[in-house]
Amino acid sequence: MPNDHIVSSYDKELENLRSSIARMGGLAETQIAGAVDALFKRSAERAEQVVEADKALDDLEIAIEKDAISILARRQPMASDLREIVSALKMSSILERIGDYSKNIAKRVTAINESDNFRIVRTVGDMAHLVQKMLKDVLDAYIDQDAVKAMDVWERDAPVDELYNSLFRELLTYMMEDARAITPCTHLLFAAKNVERMGDHVTNLAEIVFYLVNGEILEDTRPKGDRTSFTVLRPHED
Amino acid sequence: MSTEDAKLKFQTRGVHVFYGDKEAIKGVDLDIYNNEVTALIGPSGCGKSTYLRCLNRMNDTVDGAKVTGSILLDGTDIYDRKVDVVQLRARVGMVFQKPNPFPKSIFENIAYGPRIHGLASKKSEYDAIVETSLKKAGLWNEVSDRLDEPGTSLSGGQQQRLCIARAIAVSPEVILMDEPCSALDPIATARVEELIDELRENYAIVIVTHSMQQAARVSQKTAFFHLGEIVERGHTEQIFTNPREERTRDYITGRFG
Ligand SMILES: Nc1ncnc2c1ncn2[C@@H]1O[C@H](COP(=O)(O)OP(=O)(O)OP(=O)(O)O)[C@@H](O)[C@H]1O
Ligand SMILES: [Mg+2]
Repeated sequence: MPNDHIVSSYDKELENLRSSIARMGGLAETQIAGAVDALFKRSAERAEQVVEADKALDDLEIAIEKDAISILARRQPMASDLREIVSALKMSSILERIGDYSKNIAKRVTAINESDNFRIVRTVGDMAHLVQKMLKDVLDAYIDQDAVKAMDVWERDAPVDELYNSLFRELLTYMMEDARAITPCTHLLFAAKNVERMGDHVTNLAEIVFYLVNGEILEDTRPKGDRTSFTVLRPHED
Repeated sequence: MSTEDAKLKFQTRGVHVFYGDKEAIKGVDLDIYNNEVTALIGPSGCGKSTYLRCLNRMNDTVDGAKVTGSILLDGTDIYDRKVDVVQLRARVGMVFQKPNPFPKSIFENIAYGPRIHGLASKKSEYDAIVETSLKKAGLWNEVSDRLDEPGTSLSGGQQQRLCIARAIAVSPEVILMDEPCSALDPIATARVEELIDELRENYAIVIVTHSMQQAARVSQKTAFFHLGEIVERGHTEQIFTNPREERTRDYITGRFG
């Protein structure tokens, strides 16, 4: 951490900004866990809680934006301070989006529950677990100003994409076997897509932390893992 | 020769300035380029003005001041015996912190320099120099109908632009500015900054400023001075978004202990 500012209230404002981001991050983690829990427990009640709790993330995002703008206007931040504020603005909006994805998953729980003998595919849970861990680690990297840790998170998105690709193929085969599975499978596929998108957002967070610490922008050279847009599965192919 | 080299105006190496026994500048190397604004920043007393005054030998007029090292303007040592200091100051003009128009008419404030340098002979030539200088300084529209009024009757911001017009009138190659906006309100400051940006097209400009925001707004290169040395220099954007040295960062972010 850099030295203190001559104006100590400036330090307090930056500190508040940081702790708000950390709070948002913690909430976003909980929301992922909650949404997946609701999905596997088939609990409409649990899902409802997740939908409700999303409001807190929205509120925090607005509060962070207000604070950041106020600091920009009053302090004319430079160098690492400027990066700190720009990063907080971007991170808060990404965390808010991650929250939206959890909410979206929770909203699908009721629809999926309508098909009672449909078994939720384990892979969605595995994906969510990975993403949740990535999110936790990127927040640690943020708090510790640790660019190496951020890079590590950045590289961990590929397995999530791979899981998504395999889930996609698995669900396609179910849908071909049994037309009644199409509705729940589609919802589940959207839910999985949401988790996959969360993973992408977490890598964006990692890029921001890298920039915050090093002042250099990490160029995106990571190959995109989601190849499902090109996947064609023909019946009786093999 | 690279384009950077082609644009090199001042090359200063190992510059030391002493005031009696006190060493105010301790071995400064800095290059100043054409068509660029170079900002000198740093805490009070770090030697910005002292260094700036080396560039047109204004320190010659300070009692007990001694300058060593090499200061080349277009490859020629300006401290060489053969250099005509008056001529040098026409090539390297200066604008000061407080606007200091002569107690003469607006017209005479501008015409004075060209007259002593014999840049014109006919009244019409002086008229032309006065008009173009005032236009370049963005002051013409405000004063064209009152050129006979004293320069001191203008507002502070107008006076500063008058001083800039006066510096331009002798067709300098470099303009040195020592905190040119510190006595101006935000609007007058914005006008001068706008002007600096326009002047950059034709001149090399060196500006000393205490406003980090101003340095960030108007300059392309920035040098951070501390205790008579340059701690860090570089592209302005890099200095203000991602300084390499801790002392620079602490200073520009308001953390100086
Ligand atoms: N004429 C002088 N005689 C003796 N010492 C001087 C003289 N002018 C400047 N100094 C000293 O040299 C050092 C550098 O002064 P200088 O005016 O160059 O600083 P500066 O960076 O321009 O400061 P400021 O931001 O306050 O204008 C200071 O310690 C100052 O006291
Ligand atoms: Mg000074």
